[in-house]
Amino acid sequence: MGTALAGPTAGVPQKARRSTGRRLRENLRGYAFVSPWIFSLLVFTAYPMLASFYFAMTDYSVLNPPVWTGLQNFRVMFTKDPLYWKSVYNSAYYALLAVPLQMIVALGLALMLNQRVRGIGVYRTVYYLPSLMPTVAGTLLWMLILNPRHGLLNLGLQAIGLPKLGWLSSATWSKPGLVLMAVWTGSGWIMLIFLAALKEIPESLHEAAMIDGANAWQRFFSVTLPLLTPAIFFNLVMEIIGSFQVFASALIAGGSGQTAGPLNSLLMYMLHLYRYAFRYFDMGYASAMALALFVFLVIITMALVKSSGSWVYYETARR
Amino acid sequence: MGATRSLSRRELLRSLGLVTAGTALAACRPATPQVARETVIVTQKETVVVEREKQHENVTISWWNQFSTETCQKVFPQVIEEFEQLYPWIKVDYEISGGPPGGGDYTEVLLSRIAAGNPPDTATLWSPPVQYAARGSLLAIDEYMAQAKWARPGTFVEAPLKSCQWRGKTYGLPASASNTVTLINKAKFEEKGLPTDREHFPKTWSDYKALAAQFVVYEKDELEEVGTVPWAGASWAFPLFSALNGGEVFDDAAEEYRLDSDNNVELLQFWVGWLDEQFRGDIEKLNAAGQWEGTYPESAFAQGRCFIVHEGYWAITDAPITVPFEVYHNPVGPHGTKSLTAWWPNWFVLPKGCPHPDDAFLLLEYFCTKGWILWYTKGAVDISPWTEFPKDTLNVVLVDMLGLERAKQINDFFFSYLDSCCVMWNSPIEDFAANTISSAIDEALHKVKTPKQVLQEAQQLCQEKLQQVLSGAG
Repeated sequence: MGTALAGPTAGVPQKARRSTGRRLRENLRGYAFVSPWIFSLLVFTAYPMLASFYFAMTDYSVLNPPVWTGLQNFRVMFTKDPLYWKSVYNSAYYALLAVPLQMIVALGLALMLNQRVRGIGVYRTVYYLPSLMPTVAGTLLWMLILNPRHGLLNLGLQAIGLPKLGWLSSATWSKPGLVLMAVWTGSGWIMLIFLAALKEIPESLHEAAMIDGANAWQRFFSVTLPLLTPAIFFNLVMEIIGSFQVFASALIAGGSGQTAGPLNSLLMYMLHLYRYAFRYFDMGYASAMALALFVFLVIITMALVKSSGSWVYYETARR
Repeated sequence: MGATRSLSRRELLRSLGLVTAGTALAACRPATPQVARETVIVTQKETVVVEREKQHENVTISWWNQFSTETCQKVFPQVIEEFEQLYPWIKVDYEISGGPPGGGDYTEVLLSRIAAGNPPDTATLWSPPVQYAARGSLLAIDEYMAQAKWARPGTFVEAPLKSCQWRGKTYGLPASASNTVTLINKAKFEEKGLPTDREHFPKTWSDYKALAAQFVVYEKDELEEVGTVPWAGASWAFPLFSALNGGEVFDDAAEEYRLDSDNNVELLQFWVGWLDEQFRGDIEKLNAAGQWEGTYPESAFAQGRCFIVHEGYWAITDAPITVPFEVYHNPVGPHGTKSLTAWWPNWFVLPKGCPHPDDAFLLLEYFCTKGWILWYTKGAVDISPWTEFPKDTLNVVLVDMLGLERAKQINDFFFSYLDSCCVMWNSPIEDFAANTISSAIDEALHKVKTPKQVLQEAQQLCQEKLQQVLSGAG
């Protein structure tokens, strides 16, 4: 009777309740499945990040409890530590040289490896292989190549009548030497992303351009490049962040002990940070350095994201 | 004579009691041949140890070490085995390949574990214990040393022990303190008709520089051969060069740096002058022309392009020198009074919060005294600064290399020079200072600034850093 009185509309909230309950159960199941990831994000990423923000404001040797010092670490960093600005300069120099070079080389390789030729898979593998080499092995190999006296590179320069360069022994040439290593080891995976993006470009666009009389350069600049801009944007952001975090190659090439290349020319930001954290027992200062780098990279990334509206072409966004 | 007699019940019980007590006592004492050997020489201290053995239950202690070479992996387990036979209630847990359990950077993990309150029982350090001690993270071992079997106070060479002492307390021991000498390519000297006896080798820096100049060869503007590059790889040994000129780097009693002293400025000026006179004043061209440091296979010395180096004893067997060589005392600077030697140690410490400090000290002590004999014999010629270390102990590789008589001569030379160790590795900011000094030397040799300027700047940086650490130190 009650049910009859309720009429046909009475079932709606019940259904809604049932579906809400089902949704909740489904959501809970989903959360249960992703909980290991959420747990690891909170414990191994979020907490250390927040903790380092706090440590940045303390005198913290790791061996003793941190003591609150406010902005003292930043004051020392910006006004008293002569090697801080040296490390900023070195990293900025490295980034400005390495990022564009890696991108250009990777794009060139991707364009070449996008051809339909016999054995293309082998070529792709060969060009990607350096990316798989461990940093230590790659750096040691390049230290031999860059050896000023017997290295392959100087022998090549000499063969074409150019003077030998000091490379890692020279304050002027050590960073370009490090950039060469980065181009060799780091271009592979950028190339892979470009290659995937090139495969996404519809053939019909190239055919239409050809029918309109566009030559190869015009097709590249007017069709290929605009459609690659999302991949360029992604690689650019990742490479800028990565280039400010270069560490192992600088540590090894710089002499790995008490030196960081001639006149500290290979003292990269992360190397300086590492020394403070684990060699000088000054985790507070190292955390302050990490925080400064984090803020800087956030600003750079936000600027890139903001500028992307004017130069990154997303096909789906225009529809 | 042949008569038999029956045992009374009382006698039987007494005999049984004696047998039981004897068995119990036998079970309490170590049963291994090593322990039997040790207890034959019953000294008062050894009796104390045996008494302590009775009180102990079985325990496993952890030892963290950074040694990873094949020789280390072969010999150190034997040292541990000796130790475990000597102290049968202790088992030592360690990574045979070196490093902390589970891998990772040794210092990073050790710092984290000390901070988290679960450090290993004992650890080997490659950076001075003073750095850790000044931050209150090591146990002082003076009380243990006072009752020790071998590592008693006064049984270590003073300078190496100082690297473990902070404000009057001892926070570890140096297992090794291999010292450094001036080493020459004897064949090249003979080829040039130069004397190689110790009497005639330069005793002063000026004579040393003049000798080295005779070997410098440029071909078509390229540097081919050198006598020596005195600052090559020398930044870690800067305290030695400073001391050779009557200076010092860090005064631990006053807790002050002395980097910009006249003696040190004179030292750097001397090096810059050497660069100008023998290498055309261009440090980068010099560095590009070869690896002037040490005697290892990739070095200019091993390649026959450099004929005098400042090298440590360990290197002689670590990468055996293939040319005939001779060793000398390090020449003295204009303001120095005697020849001194640098040294490169391995330290053993007990981190604060280690679970079994009593037993861990026994391992630390063993490694830094008796246990090192096996390593010295079968491993590297890594001299121990323990004054009771048998000086006639010879390394098998050294004997194979040089023959018994020559090996003895070389061994005696290094041991006798050990008494002249300079004070170094004694600062709470050792690593910071070493990097700062390294940068200062580099800047002076690049002529970016004058020696006085770079040392003044280094002095200021080091003193400020020291004050920062001391203000928070316990």
